[in-house]
Amino acid sequence: MSVAELKERHIAATATVNSLRERLKQRQQLLVDTDMAAYGRSQGRSAISFGSTDLVCCRTLQGHTGKVYSLDWTPERNRIVSASQDGRLIVWNALTSQKTHAIKLQCPWVVTCAFAPNGQSVACGGLNSACSIFNLNSQVDRDGNIPVSQILTGHKGYVYSCQYVPDQETRLITSSGDQTCILWDVTTGQRISVFGGEFPSGHTADVLSVSINSSNSNMFVSGSCDTTARLWDTRIASRAVRTYHGHQGDVNTVKFFPDGQRFGTGSNDSTCRLYDMRTGHQLQVYSQQHDGDDNDIPTVTSIAFSISGRLLFAGYSSGACYVWDTLLAEVVLNLGELQNSHEGCISCLDLSSDGSALCTGSWDKKLKIWAFGGQRRVI
Amino acid sequence: MDRRLMVVLSAAESADYSFADEYKGPPLPYDIPRAVPIDVDRIPLAAVAPASAGLPDLPVVHPLPSPSSSPLKKPPPPHATPAPPLPAASPTSVIENHAAMDRPGAEVSGALGSFGFPDRSTDLSEVVDSSGAIGFSDELGNGAAWSNEMMPNRLSTESALSSEFSFLSSASGDGDEDEAVALQAKKALLVTFQESGQSSCSMSPAVGVTPRARSEDLEMKTKKRACHRCLKGSRFTEKETCLACDAKYCSGCVLRAMGSMPEGRKCISCIGSPILESNRERLGRSSRVLKKLLSSREVQLVMKAEKDCEANQLRPEDVCVNGTKLSLEEMVLLQSCSCPPNLKPGLYWYDKVSGYWGKEGHKPDRIITPHLNVGGTLMQNASNGNTGILINGREITKVELQMLKWAGVHCAGNPHFWLNADGTYLEEGQKNVKGQIWEKPIMKLLCPVLSLPFPSKVANPSGEEVNNLFSRAVPDCFDTKALQKLLLVGHHESGTSTIFKQAKFLYSSVPFSEDEREDIKLMIQTSIYNYLAILLEGRERFEEESLDEQRDKQHLDSSGDVAFDKQNKVTEYSISPRLRAFSDWLLKIMASGNLEAIFPAATREYAPLVEELWKDSAIQATYSRRNELQSLPSYASYFLERVVDISRAEYEPSDMDILCADGINSSNGVTYADFPFPCLACVGSSIDDDDQQEALLRYQLIRVHTMGLGENCKWLGMFEDVRIVIFCVAVTDYDEYYEDANGMVRNKMIESRRIFEGIASHPTFEQMDFLLILSKIDLLEQKLDMAPLTLCDWFDDYNPVVSYHPDNKNRRGAQIGATKSQQAFHYIAVKFKRLFFSITGRKLYVAQANGLDGDSVDAALRYAKEIIKWEERLVCGIPESMYSTEPSSYSH
Repeated sequence: MSVAELKERHIAATATVNSLRERLKQRQQLLVDTDMAAYGRSQGRSAISFGSTDLVCCRTLQGHTGKVYSLDWTPERNRIVSASQDGRLIVWNALTSQKTHAIKLQCPWVVTCAFAPNGQSVACGGLNSACSIFNLNSQVDRDGNIPVSQILTGHKGYVYSCQYVPDQETRLITSSGDQTCILWDVTTGQRISVFGGEFPSGHTADVLSVSINSSNSNMFVSGSCDTTARLWDTRIASRAVRTYHGHQGDVNTVKFFPDGQRFGTGSNDSTCRLYDMRTGHQLQVYSQQHDGDDNDIPTVTSIAFSISGRLLFAGYSSGACYVWDTLLAEVVLNLGELQNSHEGCISCLDLSSDGSALCTGSWDKKLKIWAFGGQRRVI
Repeated sequence: MDRRLMVVLSAAESADYSFADEYKGPPLPYDIPRAVPIDVDRIPLAAVAPASAGLPDLPVVHPLPSPSSSPLKKPPPPHATPAPPLPAASPTSVIENHAAMDRPGAEVSGALGSFGFPDRSTDLSEVVDSSGAIGFSDELGNGAAWSNEMMPNRLSTESALSSEFSFLSSASGDGDEDEAVALQAKKALLVTFQESGQSSCSMSPAVGVTPRARSEDLEMKTKKRACHRCLKGSRFTEKETCLACDAKYCSGCVLRAMGSMPEGRKCISCIGSPILESNRERLGRSSRVLKKLLSSREVQLVMKAEKDCEANQLRPEDVCVNGTKLSLEEMVLLQSCSCPPNLKPGLYWYDKVSGYWGKEGHKPDRIITPHLNVGGTLMQNASNGNTGILINGREITKVELQMLKWAGVHCAGNPHFWLNADGTYLEEGQKNVKGQIWEKPIMKLLCPVLSLPFPSKVANPSGEEVNNLFSRAVPDCFDTKALQKLLLVGHHESGTSTIFKQAKFLYSSVPFSEDEREDIKLMIQTSIYNYLAILLEGRERFEEESLDEQRDKQHLDSSGDVAFDKQNKVTEYSISPRLRAFSDWLLKIMASGNLEAIFPAATREYAPLVEELWKDSAIQATYSRRNELQSLPSYASYFLERVVDISRAEYEPSDMDILCADGINSSNGVTYADFPFPCLACVGSSIDDDDQQEALLRYQLIRVHTMGLGENCKWLGMFEDVRIVIFCVAVTDYDEYYEDANGMVRNKMIESRRIFEGIASHPTFEQMDFLLILSKIDLLEQKLDMAPLTLCDWFDDYNPVVSYHPDNKNRRGAQIGATKSQQAFHYIAVKFKRLFFSITGRKLYVAQANGLDGDSVDAALRYAKEIIKWEERLVCGIPESMYSTEPSSYSH
């Protein structure tokens, strides 16, 4: 078979796939007889209402000298690790708002950081294409720096996101600009499996974000510059379980819904979406009308769900941080307009594991912790 | 699913502590009020109240006789501006009612209760109360959330604040007291309003303040030297002081007032402001209060931040040495020398020869490291002496004269001495050493008697190493300032990696560490297999082609021969079955893409096979046709020629190999190298001042892979602190193509242009200087003959002036040739300049370089350095025209 013939076949096959995908989309749209918000309203639900003091900024963590790019909470003990443009990781005590560790990194261009489930070590990744692990209990050297305890090398592009597999200190998933995600064994520093890359049905652009299902840690979802999110099973590295289309821009962030059956995405197209894993449907789009020209559309940088899932916190590059009612797709609060809010793009946000506090990190070099105030209603 | 979404938030209840917790105490005997949104703009504090305006029965706080210059002075009567009518019931008042009930007889309760109502009693205390109440009504959320059992205590503290204040201000009589009160009042208000967000952490068990201790605090209320926040405590309670404004906080308030202490112990409102000089001694010295509140690690970090952060550093312009203000570099030099002076803002004199150091107009204070290149020249009247005796040109004081006498120096006739750092002295204009001042052991005892300094034991005989900054640790904040970052970026194979490696060879003492060399070795070995695979693929193609040819020929020769068997036919591209098996296996591995998983380990095993394969005539025949193999990079032949050598395990890459290797490391990550530019002038001539300053600067060359910058150069924002962007374009790219992810064939030059546009128009680099390096100029010459520049769409209007003068060509052929590639270079440069101008309206600098030629890279990078310097001077107001901008002075 000649090369030309092969190419022809390939083109034909691609066209078929695309038309099938289109048909699938149409079919799916036909099957949608209601949307979540309409159903919710028909059942007499109304959006959560928020007073401006219901969510208040109760801590400001200052100490970074550059933009904050990433943060992560420990599952317990309420500590936060944050990564910043100044090339430092800082571990904070969220209660006293004091630093407990400040780690100066070899490669100052750090993009992401994560806390190990046991709270004993932190991981970070960045433009050096490697993921570095620091054991917080290790002895500091003369300059007060914590030595790197493990470097995970093997990515061929920048590391954009890393997350520990819940309840497994030794497993870590990273996503990278080389279009792959990798599951690592942290103790040995070896790759366990590579998702995407050379294999078909992997991402076709930089993978910006991963989120691991907390109720079934074999499943994780990844969001990429190819405008799709993909669902993976760590036991099957060869192909993605499912691909979710819908966004019109880079998928900057993905996060599993607390019940593990859905996940949310946030994108450059300024929308957040909620996808259902079992049906493959897009359940809801969370988008706001933006006036002004196309260049000014704020991108969604980071999202988090409240413990119940009723609220979706989304940080935008405009400095806004909307709290969405996931059911009715309405903005119920904008943290950016509250007292003491950030003065720059909100780059990352996350909820503490008990759901009682939200931490946001911003380009104004600060992290803020928001907690439910006064008489908290049941959400 | 709807129901699922409604799951109740409940996890918080089981936690020891929580950010939010529901109140579970006994039922309250009053209605639960609602939290009221606070309109910051309408908080009465902000407006200056017209003293005359308003109702006659308004309380008039008579201005406290505080210094009128204080910018933080608050308008006294907040009532003068109409406060928003707040609903009567607010959570604050609940809590406060609660608090009031806990403290029976507290007169504040009435005042607080009346807060929400329109009728306001004319009581001074209430004025303060209302503002205080607003202050913490936004705090109430957290307060309620954090810990309910401790709430009464905490809030009574708050309400005590107001009562205390009223008490204080009414009690204040004499002027001295007034000022203190004014300050306290200011603090209290400040803290209440600005720090409200930082509330209540002290109540969490982690902080370690027990409720009991706090209630004890409440017992001992004293007016004087109280905590600036809660106005409690006496001079005997332990307090922490703000380094910037001297406000004192008791252990219960310090964390609220100071937050996360990014600059050490400062109130949140003082962050960023310089510390009081009287507090400089305390920098980095921990106090008991902090140690009690925080873990040792936390205290350590706070102290480190306090010492290292920029705002707390002595500003160099505040220190004058010998009549000259210090520069940052001199300052660092002074602070980091082996016997540093005790620096405070002020005027000093420094005797560079002997190391004497003192305040201007005073006797020497101490002896510091001599020969530091700091400040101006020593004046004769520096220490205001009147003895007529000069030491190193400075007239000494009487005390010093006394010392000299004791040391046995003959001082008759007002001699002029020349004193060296080691204590030897001579008379001016004479050669022979007259003696050693510090020789006598008694001097060590006598000097302190006269309160004169005695040299410390740290010997510093030579001034050689002293001025070298890099031999010792430099404070962090200076470090980042002195580092000039150059961002090197370019499309794949544009020569960025070669330039980067060349720079490492040029400027680093250890260009590549063992690990890096090992990495590069593996990279070369892996890529050699890549090249081999390309060759093998080519071989297969050639074999098929020649088989076809043979078949056609045979067909023509004997049209009857039907049983044509491919296997039996041998062409010059055929290889033995064993090698074929290896080749097939290799190609299969390449296709599946996990070459690296196998190869580094297997190199040793396959080296003989590779050798055999390479020596095979078929491969050699293919190699001779390498021009036809498109995907084989130009430098592949450099390695392929030595494939046998390289595929061995004991292969050590030479410097040249490293330069030629594709890439810098195997991970495509950002790579960077720090180096000082070695002075050009070091070769013998003297160094001028400018170079001296410059020697302190360090440069960091950062090389970024464009692949990793993402679609819209997403990550460029991380490099906003670079001084210049060096964009690299290989001029030979104009007729080269590559296939992108979607299978589209793209011209590499056009692709470079696209990336260049993306970076130049990126908001991060709005005011950034750009230097375009056109690389691979050396290859352009040959290429221009084969392929005209117009092959690239962008260059279709290229119309070089060609000299047809035959004589000229014969006589100086080489030179004419050079002009041809130079012409192309200028043309491309102008193309990019116009593009850049159309995007930014600014000027693009252009240089050329050849990665393998160290000198050209050196020249290009020095040019970048010069550009940074020019721009610095431009900012200082020196016109640009002073400097030649060759070779980039071609107009847009």
